[in-house]
Amino acid sequence: MSVAEAFARIQRTVQATQRRPGAGHIALLVVAAAAIVAGGWAWSLQISVGMRVSGLNRPVSWAVYITNFVFWVGIAHSGTLLSAVLFLFRARHRTAVFRVAEAMTVFGVMTAGLFPIIHLGRPWLAYWLFPYPNQRHLWVNFRSPLMWDVFAVSTYFIVSSIFLVVGIVPDAAALRDASRGWRRRLYAFFAFGWRGTDEEWRHYSRAYLYFAAFATPLVFSVHSVVSWDFAVSILPGWHSTIFPPYFVAGAIFSGMAMVITLLVPLRRALHLEDLVTRDHLDMLARIVLLTSLIVTYSYILEFVLALRGGPSAERRTLLYRAAGDYAPLFWTMIACNSAAPLLLFFRRVRFTPAALLVISLLINVGMWLERFIIIVTGLAHDRIPWSWHLYKPRLVEAAITVGSFGWFFFWFLVFVRLLPAVSIAEMKEAVVEERHVD
Amino acid sequence: MSTEGVLAVFADPAPAARAVVALRAAGHSDVRAAMPAPFPELVRALDRPRSALDSITLSGALIGVGCGFALCIGTALAWPLVTGGKPIVSIPPFVIIAFELAVLIGALVNLATLAVLGGRGRRRREVPGDPRFSGDRIGVFVAAAGTGAEAAEALFREHGAEEVRRVG
Repeated sequence: MSVAEAFARIQRTVQATQRRPGAGHIALLVVAAAAIVAGGWAWSLQISVGMRVSGLNRPVSWAVYITNFVFWVGIAHSGTLLSAVLFLFRARHRTAVFRVAEAMTVFGVMTAGLFPIIHLGRPWLAYWLFPYPNQRHLWVNFRSPLMWDVFAVSTYFIVSSIFLVVGIVPDAAALRDASRGWRRRLYAFFAFGWRGTDEEWRHYSRAYLYFAAFATPLVFSVHSVVSWDFAVSILPGWHSTIFPPYFVAGAIFSGMAMVITLLVPLRRALHLEDLVTRDHLDMLARIVLLTSLIVTYSYILEFVLALRGGPSAERRTLLYRAAGDYAPLFWTMIACNSAAPLLLFFRRVRFTPAALLVISLLINVGMWLERFIIIVTGLAHDRIPWSWHLYKPRLVEAAITVGSFGWFFFWFLVFVRLLPAVSIAEMKEAVVEERHVD
Repeated sequence: MSTEGVLAVFADPAPAARAVVALRAAGHSDVRAAMPAPFPELVRALDRPRSALDSITLSGALIGVGCGFALCIGTALAWPLVTGGKPIVSIPPFVIIAFELAVLIGALVNLATLAVLGGRGRRRREVPGDPRFSGDRIGVFVAAAGTGAEAAEALFREHGAEEVRRVG
C-alpha cells in the first residue's frame, strides 16, 4: 500500500466514525441522560432539604462525595500520561489511543469538579474557594491543602482541555475539507483556519511539545496534591508519607483501566480495529499490570509500617480496614486491584479484548472501593473509641454517584460522534515513521 | 510574500523532501509546503528556524511563578491569620500555588502565542489552498517566475510530482 493510500485509509476509517449514531448509541445516550436526571434530582433534594438526606454525620464528614472526587480525578490521570508523558518519550503505541484518553481526562475532571461543590452542601457559596477582593478583606488560606486542590484541579482541567482542543485542530481541518453541511461548520470551528502550511506546523509542533512538557508534571502533582488532602491531616490511616506516590500510581492504574473499559467496546462499535489494534490494548494492559503491582506494594507497605513498633491508632485503623465492619469491601478491593490484574501476566489474556474488559471493570470497582475505604475507615475509626461510627451511604448519595457516571459517559458518547476519537495527523505521521523503520 | 510561482502535488513526503532540497540547491529561497502531518524529512528539508515560541512561553511560566508567590504572600499579609503555628509567610505551601500558576499561565501564553504566530505565519507564507493537503497529499510551492518557474516545474517533475501547475 502506498503512503497516500495509507493516509486515505486512515482518514476514511476515522471519518466513518463521524456518521449518524445508531440505535445502540442513542440508547446509551438516553441511559446516561436518565442517570444525570436522577443525580440532578437527588442533588436538588439535598440542596432543598439539607445535608441530613446524605449519610454524612460526625465523625464521617467525608465519604461518598469525596470518594467520587478522588476516583474521577484519578480516572482523569491516564489521559495526560498517555498524551503528554508518552509523547515526550516518543512512544509509538500511544498514537492510536491517546485521543480517547485525553477526552476521558477532560470529562473525568469535569465530573470530579462537581463533587467538592456537591459536598459543600451550599453550592452557591462555592466561589468562596477562590481568592477574590471582598469588602471584608478576607482571603483564602493558601496553607490549606484544600486550597492547593482548587488550584491544582482547576489548572489540570484548563491545561487538559487546551491540550485536547489543540490536538484536534489538524484533524478537524482534515475532516472539514472532506465534509459538508453542519459538520463542515463544526470542524471549521475546531480547525481555527488551519491550512497545514509548514509555518503553522513549525509553531504547532513546538507549542504541542510545551503543552506536553507542562502537562507532564501535572500528572504527578495533581494526585499528589489530592493525596495531601488526607496525608497532611493527623488522622490514623491518612497521615502517611507514602500517599503521594501511592495515589499517583493508583490514579494511573484506575485511569488506564478506564481507557481499556472505553476502548474495547468503542473500537468495535466504531470499527476501529485496524487502527486500535490488539497490540495497543496489550501496551495498555502492561501499564495496568505494572501499576497494579505498585499499588499492591503500597497496600502491603501501609500495613507493614503500621504493624512495626508498638500498638498505635494507625495499626488499629488498618486492622479495622482488614477485619472490621468494612472488611468485605476491603477484600473485594484486594481481589479487584491486586489479584485480578495478575492474569495480565498471561499474553493470551492481554490479547483477548473481552478478558481485558472484564479485568478493567473489576479494577474500576476496586479503585472506587479503595478511595471509599481510605476515606471512610480513617474517619469512622479514629483515635477516640466513643466517637466510632459506622457510615452507610444513603439513596441520595447513590443517585448522585450514578448521576456522575451518567454525566461522564454522556459527554464521552457525544464526543466520539462529533470529533475524531483517533488522531488522524499523528496516525499519518506514524505511517511515514514506520516505513523509515522498516 | 508572493503567491506567484509553481505548485506541485506529491503523494509521498520522501520525494517531496528531495524536491525541496533540490529547489533550495538550485537557488530558490522561498520554498513552502502544506501537509497533513509534520513529516520530519520534509520539515528538515525546508530548514525553517526554530519557533520564537520557546522564549515567550518560558516567560509566561516565569510570570506564573511570580504571580503565584505574590498572590500567596500578598493575601497572607493582607489577612494575617496564624494557622497550625505556621509562619504567616510560609514558603513551602506557597511553592505549590506558584507551580500551578506557572503551568497555567505558561500554557495560556503558549496557546496565545501559537494562535498569533501560527495565524501570522499562515498569511505570510501562504501555500495555494487545496483540500487534499489536509488529507492524503503534500503540496510544495516555490515562489518563482519566468525561467525560474520553468526550471522549478522541471525539477518537480523530475522528483516524481503527481501534478505541477503555475499559480498566482
